[in-house]
Amino acid sequence: MFRKVFFLGLTVGITTALAAYVYNRVYIFALEANFSKIVNTGSIIGVSFAVSMIIAVLYWFMKRWLKQKGEIVFNFTLVILSFAAIYLPVSISLPLDISNPELFMGLVVPMLFFPALGWHTLKPLFIRE
Amino acid sequence: MYPIAALVVIAGSAFTTVKFQDWKIGEDYSIKFTSEDPSGVFKGLKGTVVFDDKNLAASKFDVTVDVASINTGNGMKNTHAKSAKWFDAEKYPTIKFTSSAITAEASGYVAKGTLEIHGVAKDFSMPFTFTQKDAGGVFNASFDINRMDFKINTEEPAHGAAVVKVDISVPVSKN
Repeated sequence: MFRKVFFLGLTVGITTALAAYVYNRVYIFALEANFSKIVNTGSIIGVSFAVSMIIAVLYWFMKRWLKQKGEIVFNFTLVILSFAAIYLPVSISLPLDISNPELFMGLVVPMLFFPALGWHTLKPLFIRE
Repeated sequence: MYPIAALVVIAGSAFTTVKFQDWKIGEDYSIKFTSEDPSGVFKGLKGTVVFDDKNLAASKFDVTVDVASINTGNGMKNTHAKSAKWFDAEKYPTIKFTSSAITAEASGYVAKGTLEIHGVAKDFSMPFTFTQKDAGGVFNASFDINRMDFKINTEEPAHGAAVVKVDISVPVSKN
């Protein structure tokens, strides 16, 4: 079980990083916003893999702890945490040499939901109930 | 011979003007404000800077700062700062300082004049230093401003700091 969850987490990490990278490029091109000091290829890959592996461990732990109800509790937790994470880009103060911080939320908020979307899209390929 | 020389001197004096040192504001200036909350920068500094440490009577600052250029690093705070509740950037688009007298002090200079923020003009003394380098120089100023004096969101005195520290650095070159 843990092996499957681990590889699912890795695959979600790759998918999330790819989606976030493409979205970042499109956003920069469309709005000429430059947040590369904070959101760059390195940070996208690092955060995507870290978050995806945390999700994987959380899933494994809840399935093991709560058995049948683990799936339901996990899904609610994942969605609530994804929404709660919006607080981060709303409250953060960027370095003052970055112009148009108003556009930062538009870049980051959609990315916060990529791991949950990736998880629910790819899970049936790895774990069949 | 002497009458001719005198005529030349008199005629020449008609073209004599007193040359004031007019400075061009460099692009890498900074106007920072700091407090517990918020801190940030302003851009859009424009105006005339006439300064000669040997002729302070003829020296004068007449500068404006674009209110809408405020950047606190947070998009939501920027929007609030520009709104009618705070700076009301639409109605009062600039912060203006016009000096009326510049005097030398032990630690530098003081520019006395009128500071206008949020449509409220007040007498203001701005201490500053000037460091000359080759064909240019740098003006530095550091002072406190109380937003209550300029009627900026007086309804919420505890919402954010009332007093902010302002640090200004303006590199200039000879015009």
